[in-house]
Amino acid sequence: MLRFTLKRAAVMLGTMIGLAALMFLITNIAPGDPARLVAGPDATNDMVETIRREYGLDKPLVEQFAIYMRDLLSGNLGRSIISTRPVLQEIGRYLPATIELVLVAMTLGVVIGIPFGVLSAVYKDRAIDQITRILSISGVALPAFWFGILLQLFFAVRLGWLPVSGRLPLTEVPPEPITHLLLVDSLLRGEFETFRAALSHIILPAIVLSFPCLASILRVNRAEMIEVLQSDYIVAARAHGISPLRIVGYYALKNAMLPTLAIIGLRFGWMLGSTVLVETVFDWPGIGLYAVSSALTSDFKPVVGVTLVIGFLFMITNTLVDLAYAWIDPRLRKA
Amino acid sequence: MKRTIVNFATATALSLAFLAPAAAFERTDAGKVIVFGGRQAIPILDPHVRYDWSTRMIQQAVYDALVKYEGDPAVIKPWLAEKWETSADGMTWTFTLAANAKFHNGDPVDAEAVRYSFERALKLNKGVAWMLKDFLDPDSIKAVDARTVQFNLKSPYAAFLSFLPWWYVVNPKEVKANEVDGDYGQKYLIDHAAGSGPFKLKRWEPNVLYEISAVKDYWKGWPQPEANRPAGVIYRIIREPAAQKAALLRGEADIVEGLTPDDYHQFKNQKGIVVEDHPGMTTFSIKFNNQVGPTADINLRKAIAYALDYEGLVKIYNGAAKLETSPFPNAIKGYVAVPGMPRQDLAKAKEFLAKSKYPDGNLTLEYYHVAGLEEARRVGLLMLDNLAKLNIKVDIKPEQWPNMVAKGSKPETSPNMTSVYVTPISTDPDAVAYQYHPNSYGQYFAMSFYKNDEVAKKIDEARRTAKWDARAKLYAEIQKQIVADQPEVFGMLPNRRWAHRDYLKGFVFSPVRFTGEADLYPFWIDAK
Repeated sequence: MLRFTLKRAAVMLGTMIGLAALMFLITNIAPGDPARLVAGPDATNDMVETIRREYGLDKPLVEQFAIYMRDLLSGNLGRSIISTRPVLQEIGRYLPATIELVLVAMTLGVVIGIPFGVLSAVYKDRAIDQITRILSISGVALPAFWFGILLQLFFAVRLGWLPVSGRLPLTEVPPEPITHLLLVDSLLRGEFETFRAALSHIILPAIVLSFPCLASILRVNRAEMIEVLQSDYIVAARAHGISPLRIVGYYALKNAMLPTLAIIGLRFGWMLGSTVLVETVFDWPGIGLYAVSSALTSDFKPVVGVTLVIGFLFMITNTLVDLAYAWIDPRLRKA
Repeated sequence: MKRTIVNFATATALSLAFLAPAAAFERTDAGKVIVFGGRQAIPILDPHVRYDWSTRMIQQAVYDALVKYEGDPAVIKPWLAEKWETSADGMTWTFTLAANAKFHNGDPVDAEAVRYSFERALKLNKGVAWMLKDFLDPDSIKAVDARTVQFNLKSPYAAFLSFLPWWYVVNPKEVKANEVDGDYGQKYLIDHAAGSGPFKLKRWEPNVLYEISAVKDYWKGWPQPEANRPAGVIYRIIREPAAQKAALLRGEADIVEGLTPDDYHQFKNQKGIVVEDHPGMTTFSIKFNNQVGPTADINLRKAIAYALDYEGLVKIYNGAAKLETSPFPNAIKGYVAVPGMPRQDLAKAKEFLAKSKYPDGNLTLEYYHVAGLEEARRVGLLMLDNLAKLNIKVDIKPEQWPNMVAKGSKPETSPNMTSVYVTPISTDPDAVAYQYHPNSYGQYFAMSFYKNDEVAKKIDEARRTAKWDARAKLYAEIQKQIVADQPEVFGMLPNRRWAHRDYLKGFVFSPVRFTGEADLYPFWIDAK
C-alpha cells in the first residue's frame, strides 16, 4: 500500500510539472500584449516598456520559463499584472468560496442523484423512470450559463424568493473566519441571520453547478442498480423472503455504489472546472470568476495558478478514489 | 459536533421557509447607501497608476483635482484651485489653491501636495503620465507658497488645462509614511485612498464590491441638502447584462450601466425605472489599414465608405446614436461639421471602386470586432450585406480585446477593417487630433496607420499655438483633410446610457466621462 501511494505521489508531481510547463507555453504563445493592456489604451511605448521591465516580460521566453519554474517549485505562483498582488494570495482569497459552492453542489448531486437513480432502477420503464431519464438528459444537455440566467429571472426577478447574485447581502458583515466557508462559519459563530443570507445566495448557483453532476450520478447509479437487481444473489434474497426495501437499500445499493463513488470523485474535479461559467453568471467570488476575469485581460499568471490549483485538487480527489479502490480491492495494488 | 449538526438542520429549515426578497437601496445605521452595478472591476485605485471608467469613477469620489469637468457640454470648473493664470507665452501656469481644502485625515491640501502628486505621476510613468510627460518635467513644478503652485512647461501646450481634471492630488505625508523600498506608496495605494474627495474608502473586496462613505464635513460642501445626502455608495460588480437587469428590477442595484440596447429600449416604458440616454463623445469607427493590403488604396476605402448603410448603423442602436459628421465628436472644442461626409450612395461607391486596383471587387476583407460586443458584430453583418453589392466579401472575425490591440500595433498585422470605440480623454481637440498623428502608431486608436505629413504638421502646430482662433482654424482644416483621406469609416456616436430606479436623483451627465462612468458626488435618494 505504501509503495502504491508513493507511486501515485510521483505521478502527481510529474503531472503537475508537465501541466505547469504546458500552461506557461499556451499562455505565452497566445496573442496579446499584457504590458500594453495594463499600461492603458493611451500609454506611450516607453510607458509600456516600464511595465514590461517591472514584470520581467522583456526577458527571453526561456529565461522567463526558468524563473517561473524556479518560483513555482518554491511555492510562488508569481504576481498578477492587473492587480499587482501575489497570485497565491489571491487564490487563497477566492478558493474558499469555490470550495463551498462545490461542496454544496456535490451534496445536492449525491442527495438527489442516488435516491432517484435507485427509484428509476426499481421502477424501470415506469413513469418515475421516464421523468428521471428526462431529468438526467437535461442535466447533461443544458448549458450552465443559460440555465443560470433562467433561474435568476424566475426565482429572483419573477418570484423574488432568492437573490440574483453574490455571496452575501451587500451590507452583511461576514462572520469572523474559522474555515472561510460562510455557511459553516456562520453556524459555528451562532450567526443564524448570516447563515440564512448565505444559504439564500448559494442555492441558485449550487443548483446550476450540481445539475450535470446529479445527472451523471443518477445515470450511473440507475444502470448499476438495474444490473445488480438482476443478479443471482438478489434473486436468492427475494426467494428467501427478505423485504424488498432491505434488498434494494442494503444488498443491491451497497454493490451498485462502487462505480457511483468513482463518478463522484471524478465529478468533484470536473465541478471545480465548471465553476468558471457558474461563478461568472452569479458573480460568485471564487477562483472560476478570478480565472475568467484574468483571462479576459491577458493576465496569465492567475490563469496558470488557477489551472494548477484545480489540477492539483483534481488529482488529489482521483488519487483518494484510487487509494480507496486499492484498499477495497487488493488486485488493483498490483496493477 | 452534534450541536453544530442540529444548528445546521434547524437553520436550513428556517431559512428555506423565510427567504425574503431584497430591499431597494441599502439602509444602514449611517443612512441610505446607493448601489451602483457595473461590469468592470477596480484592480488598483492608485490615481497615478491606472485609469478606466470604473476606476476613475471611484478615484473621482475619493480624490480631488485642481479642476473638474462638469455638465453637458463639459466645462472645466475650479475645484482645489480657486483660480489660475497663464503667462503670455503659454509656458507658465500658476494656480491658487482653495484655503479650506483638506485631506480626509485633516491635513491641508497645499501647494506641496499638488507638486508631489504631479511629480509622483510623472516619475512613475504610468496611468495618466502620457498626458503631460512631453511638456512637463517633474522638477519644473514649484510650490511658490502654501497656496500657490506653478507649472513651467517645456514648450507651450494649449491642451494643458484640459487634462488636469484627471490628475488627482494625494496626501504626500500619508503616501510617504507607507512607502516600501521607494515605491512611492504604490502598494499602499492599491486599496487605500490618501485623498480629499467627497467620499472615503470604506470597504475593498476585489472582484466583488467597493464601498465608499460620504465625508460629512467635505471641504467643498455638498450639492444636496443634508437630509437627502447618501451615507455612501457601493460599487458592486455585476458582470452579465442579464444579471444587471435582474438586479435593477429586484432593487438589488439602484443604477446599472451595462444593459443591452434592447433592455434600455424595454426599460424606457418601465414604471419605477428611468433611462439616462445622452449623446456621448465616444466614436464608433471602422479603421482601415491605410498602409498594407487592399485598403491601402484610397479609392477602395472611399467605395466602402459610400456603400455602407449609415441609417442601418443607427438602427443597430435602436436609434440611440448619432452619425459622425466629423472625425471630432460634437462635444469637442473646435468641432466643425465637415461637408461631403460619405453617406450611402451606391453609384458613387461603384465609381470609386472602378478607379481602384479592384474595379470588379472580387476580394475578401477581414472585419475584426471585439468578441462579445453585439453591436459591433451586427455592424459586421451590415457590411457583409452592403459590400456584397460591390462584389466584396467580408470575413467577420470576433477577437478578444488584448489580441485585437496586439494585431493593430503594426501595419503588417493590422486587419483590413477593425471596429473601434474611442473616447477622448478631454474636450480639447488635441485629444482627438493626435490620434491621427504618426506618433500615435502602435496604439489601438491609430491602427489605421494614417499618414499625411501635412496633417501631422498642422497637429503639431495647433498643440503649440496658444491663441484659440488660430488653433480653431487649424483644427477645421485638419478635420476636413482627414475626411478627404478616408482613413476609416466615420460611423456614429452611440449614446451613453444608464438605467436607474426613479428614487435615485442627482444624475448629472457629462460627455467627457468614460462609458459607464458617473459623477457620484451629486447622487441622492428621494425615498423614506
